[in-house]
Parts: sequence; structure tokens; C-alpha cells
Amino acid sequence: MSALLKLQDITVKGRSQPRLDRVSLQVDAGERIALLGPSGAGKSTLLAVANGLLTPQQGRVFWQGEARARSGRARRRQQARIGTLWQDLRLIEELTVQQNLNAARLAVWGWPRALLNLLMPLETKACTTMLQRLDLDPALLNQPVSALSGGQRQRVALARLLRQEPELLLADEPVASLDPRLAGELLTLLLELANPPRALLLSLHRPDLLAGFDRVLGLRAGRLVFDQPMASLEPGQLEELYAGTPGA
Amino acid sequence: MRPAAPLWVLLPALIVLPLLALLPGISHGGGWELVGQFAAAALRPSLDPIVLGSVLGGLAVTAGMALLGWAGSLVLGLVLGIASSRVVWRTCYGSAAPASWIRRLLALPRSIHELLWGLLLLQVVGLQPVVAVVAIAIPFGALVARVVSDLLDALPTASLEALRCGGSPAPTALLTALGPPLLPQVISYSGYRLECALRSATLLGVFGLGGLGTELRLTLQSLAFNELWSGLWLLLAVMLLLEALMGWLRRRWAMPARLGLSQRGVGSQGQEMVAVAMAMLPVLVLVAWRLEVQPATLLQWQGLPPLGAADWGAVAALPWPRLIGNTLVLTLVAAALAVGLAPLLLLLATPWPAAGALVRGLWALGRLWPPPLTALLLLFVLQPGVLTGALALGFHNLGILGRLLLEAAETSGGNQEQALLAAGVGPRLALLYGRFSGLARPYLAYGAYRADVILRESVVVGLVGATGLGSQLLEALSSFAGDQLLALVLAYALLTLLGEDLSDRARQWLLETPHGDGHPQEAGGTWR
Repeated sequence: MSALLKLQDITVKGRSQPRLDRVSLQVDAGERIALLGPSGAGKSTLLAVANGLLTPQQGRVFWQGEARARSGRARRRQQARIGTLWQDLRLIEELTVQQNLNAARLAVWGWPRALLNLLMPLETKACTTMLQRLDLDPALLNQPVSALSGGQRQRVALARLLRQEPELLLADEPVASLDPRLAGELLTLLLELANPPRALLLSLHRPDLLAGFDRVLGLRAGRLVFDQPMASLEPGQLEELYAGTPGA
Repeated sequence: MRPAAPLWVLLPALIVLPLLALLPGISHGGGWELVGQFAAAALRPSLDPIVLGSVLGGLAVTAGMALLGWAGSLVLGLVLGIASSRVVWRTCYGSAAPASWIRRLLALPRSIHELLWGLLLLQVVGLQPVVAVVAIAIPFGALVARVVSDLLDALPTASLEALRCGGSPAPTALLTALGPPLLPQVISYSGYRLECALRSATLLGVFGLGGLGTELRLTLQSLAFNELWSGLWLLLAVMLLLEALMGWLRRRWAMPARLGLSQRGVGSQGQEMVAVAMAMLPVLVLVAWRLEVQPATLLQWQGLPPLGAADWGAVAALPWPRLIGNTLVLTLVAAALAVGLAPLLLLLATPWPAAGALVRGLWALGRLWPPPLTALLLLFVLQPGVLTGALALGFHNLGILGRLLLEAAETSGGNQEQALLAAGVGPRLALLYGRFSGLARPYLAYGAYRADVILRESVVVGLVGATGLGSQLLEALSSFAGDQLLALVLAYALLTLLGEDLSDRARQWLLETPHGDGHPQEAGGTWR
């Protein structure tokens, strides 16, 4: 399989200790990877480096074999291929569902379409398809996001993620604030949506939800302590990963 | 087709299009060279010790007037605020009706701009240091009173009722139950008023009431641009220092962010606040002594020229529709310019840090530079009139709104903007969609409040013949036409009260829970 994202010796400095310490990993097309680690291990930092929000002090990031551009259009073109599902969803409350879905296309749209999107419904067909794919009523398109229920918002966020047409899905602890049933549903949905050649890198706080992943990464104090196929993960490794942390 | 929230903040900027079409018609093109000289002098301020000494002296007078006027307004505001509080009257007297009457009475001094108070007092008692101080203290005091009474009436009354049930006398119960939660809020608000007082003291100086404003006007009129910039840079430094100090204190004392987007608990360090307030007292006494401010001189009225019999026929014959119409046009154009251009400039400058710094500098200059001086500067290239006045007022308010917008944008979290940036969206579109969406309502609510302030301020550009009520007022003042003066002041007051009511309604419409303002209280917001 071809490499989508490659991180090479990534170091991100923190106040007292590095948030990431010489982390190297590669995400191939079609892979579903769970990133495990206790709170403060550096999972969110790793995802921020992956989606380009954070530039590491040391190390290199490659997207599809190309070094990540420092800034400007080239960097944004790479970022547009990486979609992130945020724990707090980050939908724009004041805009309608359709405007939120279309906001995922802003990286490839020019200003005229971006402004038109704030004036009239655009690309209704594509947006309807996205909603239907996530079992949402297309009538929601005109609703402001602030009027949606918690479950609907979650699915709209997923629909927006798909509307971006990313090749790599990142998710930062998407189930952290959900009850076990909703958490299971969301993970199933995410694993479904991450069908090959699309890849998924998802950070998790709960090792009990690993079913369906091909590969698992363990991060502790900014260091990658294991990176291996899911099938070969030993319970002892998880215990060691979470040792000494609250709730372990 | 209904514009979504992020576009609302940009729509007022459309005013630029008709303005650009009209500007060639009012420009006379004679003074571009002078404008060039003015701009170039910014890089070469005069460092002559005599000039610097004079500028520093002027600045000290302005700062002193501001400090005393501000302190006076706080005392006045606190007393009148308590006197117009419903909860105070209900507790002491059993009925809140007197509070409503006092509130209505206070609307009048609040609606008259400090410049008008200054010029009226100037005519009555002559040029005395106390004039500027009182001119600031009266309208500011009325404004503080409204805020204090609103704050008092919004405080929870459970502990007050408990004390009253326990037999405490009304004054003691009020002081014990409402004093501690009120004090830090008043101190927080008063910090914001000090910045306004400095701006007002400079403005009063422009009209001859002494201090740096007078120096600035004289150097501008004598085209001594290098000397003008010496004063301007100094004023800029003091203003920015004061703003930074207030910002630091707001953070240190956990006060709500302006525009109310990230409000927190207030008054976590009450004792420290009170200590600072107490430490101000000797400073105020010293300043009053140095400036020779003697309140007794207010009672020594100078001989006024004979006022003559009132000619109400002549008053009625004034072109009222044109005066009021022009005042409203001036207000709306200035408000649209300020409200619309601030987000537009922020958007344009976003990708480049250098452009961002330039815009911030421009806004700082706009804030401190008194609008009449901008108007005088504009007269180098434009003809006097409504648009010239509107441009001057618009520039000043752009500085105030721009700073507020920037502050709000920086403290509003920005998660949505970050999410868009992570998805490869350009910085401008990410700002438009990600930040302006959430900011639109509170920002425009503040814009509505600001329009109300601009209406009150329109008198200050009267001197460039803005042909509204302001120009007519200044004319009536200089010709001692008492009847006209009275009618015009009343018309102004009525108009500003109507404007206040309209902007209140606009804010209520924009905000379900109002919280948009230069300071949350002024716009009828809440701390919670």
C-alpha cells in the first residue's frame, strides 16, 4: 500500500518536557489505526502535527511522499486531503447544516462561491447525499446547527468530514464524552466511513473499543512505545502504557 | 436570499461604494501636498526641548483633567446610581417609583456631550481648570449612574431579604448584602471609563479648554506638523500604556472581556482593588492642587453679554428638517464606516502580520486622534460638509470598534477557525466563517450602541460645517443666541434619547441575552 502520511523524528517541545519526542510513524492508504495513551501522552499534539495545525520544532512530515510545505497554498492543498473529526465537533452554530457541510469545501472553493454559500443554498444535491448517507433527514439542511440534537450534530460533523473528501481521517478522542452505546455506534460509523483507500487515525482513551482497527499505536509521555498490528497486542502492553495514571 | 451571520458584519462596509462615488465631488485637491507633509512628519517628530517641554506640560494637564473628571464622575455616578436604583428605593421606601423618575431625569445630562457641557460652562465661568473636569464629570457621572443602578438592580436579592427578615435596618442590609458584589464590578467598569476620560480631555483641549488638545490644534493650524507629531506620538504612547494597564488589570482581577464573549467571575481579588482605589485618593488631591482646580470658581459667574428677548419665531424658522436630517446622515454614515470597515480591514490584513500591525497602528491613531482634528486635516483636501464630518467621526470610531473586534476575536476561542485552518482553508475565509459567525451578533449589538454614541458625538465635528445640529449649536454658542441654544440642546437631547431607545431595541433584537458593548453594562448587558 502507498504511504499517505509519514512522520519522521517529530519533536514538539513543551514547557518542562517534550510533548512529542522523536516520534516516527507512517500511515498507509486503507489503514485503520488506533492511537492509545493516557491523558497528556501527546495524542492531540500528534494529530495536530498530522493535520498541519502544528509545525514541529524538529523532524519532517511527508504527505504522499512530498515534504509538507512550510506555508501557503501548497500546504493548504495537502491539508485539504486530511479531515479531522474534533471531540467538540466544531460546527459553526450560527450557520445552517448546508452551509456547514459546504464549509468543508472552502479549501478548494474560491471567494465568490464561499460568499455565495453565505447567501443562498449551494450544492444541495451533494449535501443531501451526505445527510442520507448518515441516516439524517435532508430537511435538516436549512436548519441552523444550534437547533440540532446532540446525536444529529455528531452525524452532521461526520457528514461535513466526508464532504471534505479527505484521504486520511483523523479523529481526536471522538467518543470521550459519549455513553458506551453512542460511543460504539460512532466508532462503527467511523470505521465504515474509513473504507479503503481512505485511512483512519483515531486517538482513544479507552482500550475496550479497539475492535475493527488493524493497527494500534501506544503513546506515553510524548514517546511512541509501541506500533504494531492489532492482532499482536498483548494485555500487558496496555497495562504498562497506562501504569501510574489515574483510573489505570 | 438571506445573508448569513458572517456577512452581516461586512454589509455596513458597502457604504464605502457611494462614498467613493461622492468623494471626487467634494474634494478640492488643493492640499494633497500638505497631507503629504503631515504624513512625512510622522517619521520626523520635533525633538526640540522647548517643544517637548510644552507637549509634556500639555499632556500632564490633559491627563490631570481626565483623572479628576473621571474621579468626579465616579463619585457622582455612585451616588446617583444608588439614588436611581429600584432595589434601594424598594428596600428603604417600599416603592421603586422614585427610582424611575430619577432615571428619567438623568437621561438629560447623559444625552448632552461633554463638549457641550464644556462650552456652556466656559461661557458662564470663563476659562478655568475646573471647567473641563466638570464637563467630563457630568455626562460621565450620569452614564456611570445608569450602569451602577442597572448593576444594583441585577444583583441577587436573597441575602438582602434574609438580612431584612432578621431585622437589619435597610441601609445596613443594603450595604452588607449588595456592597461586596457591587464594588468590584464598579471598579472594573471605572477602569474602562478612565480610557474614555483621557480621550474626552484631549477633545476638550482641542476646543480651547487647555492641555494637549489645545497644543495639537494650534500646531495643526499653524502647519507645524513635526511639532504636532511630537504630541501625537506621546499621546499614543500614553493611551496604549493605559489600555495595556487596563487590560492587565482586567485579566489580573478576572474581569469580563469586553464584548462579553468570555465572561468570567468578577472580583476574585476584591481587597487589592479596594487598596488600589484608596491609593488613588492622594494622587487625585495632588493633581487637583497642581492644576489649581478650584471648585469654588464655578460659583463665580462672569458677566454675560445681554441675552436679549427670546425670538422664538426665529428659532422656529431654523431649517430643522435639514439640521436633523444631516445629523442623522452624519451619524449613519460614520457608524456604517466604523462598523463595516473594522472587520473588513481585519479580514484583509489577516494573512500578513505586518499588515495586521499597520491596521492596529491605524486604529490606535484613530482612537486617540480627536475627530475635530481629523476633520480639520480633511479640510486640506475636502470641502466642509456632512461627509467630511462623517469621515472624521467614522475614523475615530473605527479605532474604537477595531480594537474591540480584535480583542473579541482574540478571546473568543477560535475552535471553529482552527478546524477550518486544519482542513486547508485560507486564513481569511477561516476568519470569516470561523470567527465572524459567532462574533456577528454581539459585534453588531455593540455597533448599535456605538451609533448612539456617534449621534451624541456628532456635535464635535460641527466646527467643519457639518451642517447638522452640531454646527448650528456651535454657532448659537458663539453668537450668544440663548433661545436657539436652548432649543438646539433640547432637540439634540431628544434625538439622542430617541437614538438610545432605538439602539436598545436593535440590541435586544440582535441578542437574546444582551452582552455586546464597549463595556457590557453600558449597552444594557449583564455580567453573568
